[in-house]
Amino acid sequence: MSASQRPALVAARRVLAQKSAFMAAVFLLGMALIAFLAPWILPGDPLTQNLRHALEPPSAAFWFGADELGRDILTRVVYGARTSLVTALGAVAIAGLIGVPIGLVAGFYGGWRDAVLMRLVDVILALPGILFAMALIAVIGRSQMAALVAVGITGIPSFARITRAQVLSLRRRDFVIAVDAMGGSASHLMFRTILPNSWSPILVQIVILAAVAILLEAALAFLGVGIPPPTPSWGEMLRTGKSYLYEAPYYAILPGLVLTLTILALDTLGRTLATVLEDRQGSTGEPEPEGQRL
Amino acid sequence: MSGYILRRLAQLLPVTLLASLAIWAMIYAVPGGPVGAMVGENATPEQIRAVTERLGLDRPVLVQYGAWLGKALKGDLGLSLQNRQPVMELILERVPATVQLGIAAILIGLLIGVPIAILSALHPRSRLDRLLSGWSALALGVPTFWLGILLILLFAVELRWLPSASTYVAFWESPTKAISNLLLPATTLGVYVSGIFARFLRASLIGELHADYVRTARAKGLPERDVIGRHVLRNALLPFITIVGLMLASFIGGALVTEAVFTYPGLGRLLIQAISTRDYPLIQGAILFILVIYVVINLLVDVAYAWVDPRIEYG
Repeated sequence: MSASQRPALVAARRVLAQKSAFMAAVFLLGMALIAFLAPWILPGDPLTQNLRHALEPPSAAFWFGADELGRDILTRVVYGARTSLVTALGAVAIAGLIGVPIGLVAGFYGGWRDAVLMRLVDVILALPGILFAMALIAVIGRSQMAALVAVGITGIPSFARITRAQVLSLRRRDFVIAVDAMGGSASHLMFRTILPNSWSPILVQIVILAAVAILLEAALAFLGVGIPPPTPSWGEMLRTGKSYLYEAPYYAILPGLVLTLTILALDTLGRTLATVLEDRQGSTGEPEPEGQRL
Repeated sequence: MSGYILRRLAQLLPVTLLASLAIWAMIYAVPGGPVGAMVGENATPEQIRAVTERLGLDRPVLVQYGAWLGKALKGDLGLSLQNRQPVMELILERVPATVQLGIAAILIGLLIGVPIAILSALHPRSRLDRLLSGWSALALGVPTFWLGILLILLFAVELRWLPSASTYVAFWESPTKAISNLLLPATTLGVYVSGIFARFLRASLIGELHADYVRTARAKGLPERDVIGRHVLRNALLPFITIVGLMLASFIGGALVTEAVFTYPGLGRLLIQAISTRDYPLIQGAILFILVIYVVINLLVDVAYAWVDPRIEYG
């Protein structure tokens, strides 16, 4: 076991020791598993229409009823989890891969690079996230890729700011100064010395942004500008369900419930992680420079 | 103080200009460019030439941006493609509805959030605190569009007490009608902000409770009610004003989802309609308008905060 793994394991164990965080993790894992195995464990498929069963109430055949085209709502909710999972992973990847280097460079060099990069990031923040995403989709058109990219871009500022703040506080620390004095190059300092020691707030941000991304994707679909049908999406199901509130009041319940539980679970996990990592740093006074290889 | 305002402006102005440039440039990224956006992708060469000349698209790009921005600053955002009405008029028509909803939502959020924050800050880490923190997590986790649907199912479909779709009735014209139309959408948004308010105010109250002046006040025998009411609450409310202002700003720009749930005729619905009909001048105008409102409220909140709290360093 290398020195870089141990603190991560300790943190993970301390997060899971909390009952709420443990339940959240079990829920998320279970959902991911069901979403992954959907084709093998579900009898139907999310796109098969059967108009004879349109808007049928919950029954033995349709546990949560059928939608306006006679498709099984439960099946569509399960497949909708795949859509959410893909969006969350993709959006977090985009936001992190762009935001973290921006924060690193801005914090490391300071000066005009810092000013220019952070002002560019501020432009994204100049509008509420959902508006920014909608404006982007209005330009590039409506597709699964567009929704993913739009949601990802709105996540860039938080990664950039958090990384920048980490760099600013680490830059004056002895071990960074030591590497610098030994002639470490700028990229070595940024990516091999500073970044490995900045992972805890970034990790918290990853979990929180996953929740934001899933919520934003659902909101865009609900507004009719997200992932286009017939791809199952929880937001799209809520949008359609809203048109049948009188005929089929149960329609919108399940997709919304699963969406809410997912977001609550990610939020709980993210906040527990933040507390655990803060405590760990607080107990030793300062974060240990783990993963540090001179 | 004026130096502080100037410095904040110097920060905000470039960002706002850059964002406005992006909003203007949007139309060039649309398939078919600005001409395609105006006349569709299958236009005849004559139509294309006419539009190019009318819009001055043969001029240098920066001149075009300058002209667009200059007009926008004078309140001229062009004509809507759908009904040829001035975009500014269409926007201003919707503003009262959106502002009224925003204010109602903030009031409901304060009504729920502030007592929760005070109760849990006075008993930190107690069972009550954990219960109330659970409310905040729930309020922030439940998507507004699902909460809105649940409220409609309960109060409109089941009980038939309130309308399932809300129209705008000015509060001073008919308070009862306005309230019955606003209650569900404002509660939907209000529950959400109550979570933000409660979390934020609780944290700043707990911070203040640990301050030295609280120990002094208690040591000199001041009743706990006065310690909390006169000292702690006043100091904790200062940073809280910022959050309330920021939430109002984001509602004016971003109550898109709630407005969609209740088919409420605010700015958000105007924008969504504009996007679905590809009415680009209206899309650009509405986003620019929301951007300016958002930036101005942000600035006002900052300035108000610095003015109220003399400890703020104007840096």
